[in-house]
Parts: sequence; C-alpha cells; structure tokens
Amino acid sequence: MTAEQHSKLSEEEVLLAFSVEPKHDRKTLEQYLIEYPEHAKALVACSIELMVDATRNDDAVVTSEDVTNRAWQRFQTVVGQPDDVLVTNPFATLNPTAFRSLAKKLDITNLLLIRLRDRAIVAATIPRRFVQRLATELGATAEAVMDYLQSPPAMVSGHSFRSTVKPTVTEQISFTEAIEMSQLTPAQLDALKALQD
Amino acid sequence: MPKPLKRKKKDGTTYERPPEIEAWLKKLETVEVAERLRQFATLSRKSIGYVPSEALVYFLRRAWADGMQGDFEKIFRILMKRIEQSLCSAISDSRMAGARGIREEIMDRFAERIAKDCKGRTGLLDFYEIRFDKAFAAFRTSALRQIGPTVVDTVPLGSDEDDGLEISAEVEAAASDFLGGDPEKLDDPAFRLELTAAIDCLPDDQKQVIGLLLQGFQIDSKDKNIMTIARILQCDERTVRNRRDRACKALKAILQEENAQ
Repeated sequence: MTAEQHSKLSEEEVLLAFSVEPKHDRKTLEQYLIEYPEHAKALVACSIELMVDATRNDDAVVTSEDVTNRAWQRFQTVVGQPDDVLVTNPFATLNPTAFRSLAKKLDITNLLLIRLRDRAIVAATIPRRFVQRLATELGATAEAVMDYLQSPPAMVSGHSFRSTVKPTVTEQISFTEAIEMSQLTPAQLDALKALQD
Repeated sequence: MPKPLKRKKKDGTTYERPPEIEAWLKKLETVEVAERLRQFATLSRKSIGYVPSEALVYFLRRAWADGMQGDFEKIFRILMKRIEQSLCSAISDSRMAGARGIREEIMDRFAERIAKDCKGRTGLLDFYEIRFDKAFAAFRTSALRQIGPTVVDTVPLGSDEDDGLEISAEVEAAASDFLGGDPEKLDDPAFRLELTAAIDCLPDDQKQVIGLLLQGFQIDSKDKNIMTIARILQCDERTVRNRRDRACKALKAILQEENAQ
C-alpha cells in the first residue's frame, strides 16, 4: 500500500486496523499517530476506549427483540438497494411545504436549507450536532445524511430555473460562511455557532 | 478449512485470524448447521461453550456467500443481540444523554456495514473476524465521535474554564500521591483493573490525559522528537497537568468510595 493510498483511509478503517494490532501500547499508538496525524484525536479516543472496554461487563444486559428487528430491517433496506442508490438524497421526498416546515423546525432560513440540500457547503465544516438534528428531522441516519452532504455538489434535479444563462454548479463554501450569508437572525446565528464542533 | 481473509495490511501482507479463532472455525465446520446455530445462541461470555463473535461473523459471511438466507438471518440476529449487550454496557443510559438513540444509530450503522460487506463493497468485516470486541470498540468510537454528545455526563469535577491556570496545591499533591506515590501499586494488575474501570467515569478531556499517561506518554519534553501528551492533544503543558491533577483527585475519590462499599 502506498503513502497515497494511506491518506485515503477513512477514520473508521484506520481505527479498525489499530484495533486488531496485537498490542496497544505506546509504541503502537505512536506509530499510528505518525502515520495518520489527521486521525490523531480519534486514535487517542480509540486507544483509551480499548483500555477501558476490557473492564466492562455486558453479561447482565437484557436484550430487546425490537432493537434486533430494527437492525434487520435496516440491513434489508441497504442490501436491497442498487449500489448507485446507496447515497440517497434525503431531501428528495420533501414537497415545498415540507421543505419550509423542515427549515422552521431546525430554526434556520429556507436559504440555508437550500444550500445544504444543494451541497453548496463543505460537509466537513458542518457541525456534527447539526447533522444529527437534520437527520432526525429527515427521518434518516446521521451517516446517510453525511454521505449525501459529502457527495460532490451537483445540480439538483427537479427544481425550476428561469435564467438566460445555463445554471452551473456553485463553488462550495464553509458552514461559517454559509450561515453569515443566509439571512439568519442574530439569535439563529448564535444558536448555530454554539453547535460548532 | 476456513477461508482466508482478503483484507491487506499496509505492508501488503494479508490479515490473518489468531490461531485460537482458526481452531474454533475448524471445529465448528465439522458441526451440523442446526447444532452450530444452537451453540451460537449462547449470549453469556461466562457460559461454557460460548462461541466467540469472530466465529459468528465468519459463518454469517459464509451463509450469505452460500445463499443460506435462513441461516444468515438467524446468525445476524444473534450477533445483533451480542452487539446490543455490548452497547448497553459501553453506552449506558446513566452515562450518556440520549443513550438509547445513540445505541440504535450505531446498530443501524453496523447493520449497514454488514449489508455493504454482503454486496462486496468494503471487506471491513475482516477486522471483526480477527478481534471482534476490539474492532467493535473502534467502530463505536468512530460512530460516537460523529453522533455522540459533546460532553459525556460523568462525575462532576468542576469547570474546565480555568484550564490554563494553576490549581491548588492540595489537588497537585493528590495527583502526585496517586500516580507517583507508589509505582509498584500501578503495576499491580488488580489495582490497574480497578483504576481503568474508574477512568471510564471521567470526562473525556481528563480521560485522554490519564489514558495517555498510563500508556507511558510523558506530559511534555524539550526534545521536539518526543511525542508528548501536550503535543498529541495540541494544548499547553499546564493544561495537561491541570487535567491530570483534577482527574487524579476524582479517581482517588471514586476508588475510595468503591473500596468503602
């Protein structure tokens, strides 16, 4: 595996590789921190989680059939989807009224929600707590919403354009820039700033 | 013979299962399917005949590859019950706000990983055939970083606003007494186990410092080539010391309380 391929490993892949190392001592952690500095925080958290996890006892826990059924349904949904549908547009089913209602529930302007829907914001800059709230309101998993937000910005089909020039994909901006430019009230702005990671 | 793993390490070699897991797989391959499923159903790790989850993942993937839908679903459900058990312990209702929703989201994500593996997309399940509990702890860590609460509810230890300021001599003394007073005590496996369990009760920032200290990292160094806690956490050396001192004070209280019970 080349260094270039290394940089493409996701946080999850790096943590999984770390987790199956025969030893989790300082030397191993140091090695991973040097190789994957972009995942340093996650690696430290993981090393400590591995340490304390061994002291937990899960024998007395009572499981629920509902939870297993839910996971089974999730499996069936994903396994049944064609590969190109794995990244779905969670906004696709919203009609204009539902779209406005979603903006209201999130206490943001329609303009900011449009920017999110059109992937005009760099996904990595969106606070994860905001993504979680958005996912909850959309009835999707935070991961599915993040997958969508991370996919390349594109012209969203199904919207009307009236223009003399051909519409193009706009350049992405940061979440901070987006909230400053989305006609939010000072209170809304403060609330969104407080969500920053 | 169990099928080998496909995932490659960074040095180009293929990952291998530990010998004890290979032995389990060979043994289970000789057992009738119905009996195997019966053995898988044991949920308690303490029970005789408890089959390691690494083996469940192997036979889950085999069932899918062989088109044995019924067996696949049965193993999937057993595996998910084990995961739920583990999550209820790691993300208990008392430890984290919204714990139930977080557990469900993590289970959903794991179900998605299995689905993607069935479609031959990631091959990430190989890790779970090597060291299931460790791999799942890593998966959970990554998921929690995305969806977990920013602050974990733990023992109240005061505000962190004074991170950069010196703290009282009393706390400093408690810390040195705790971590530096008796080095032999830290080497005692029973004490270390008790201490590690207590660390789980600390807020994340303090947990990081104590966790790294226990792994042998030093707080700070003039030598820029040494990886120190201050450099890893990208914060001032005084902040690290203050977090350590607060953590030590809290740990001492937790351990004293536990020993008094």
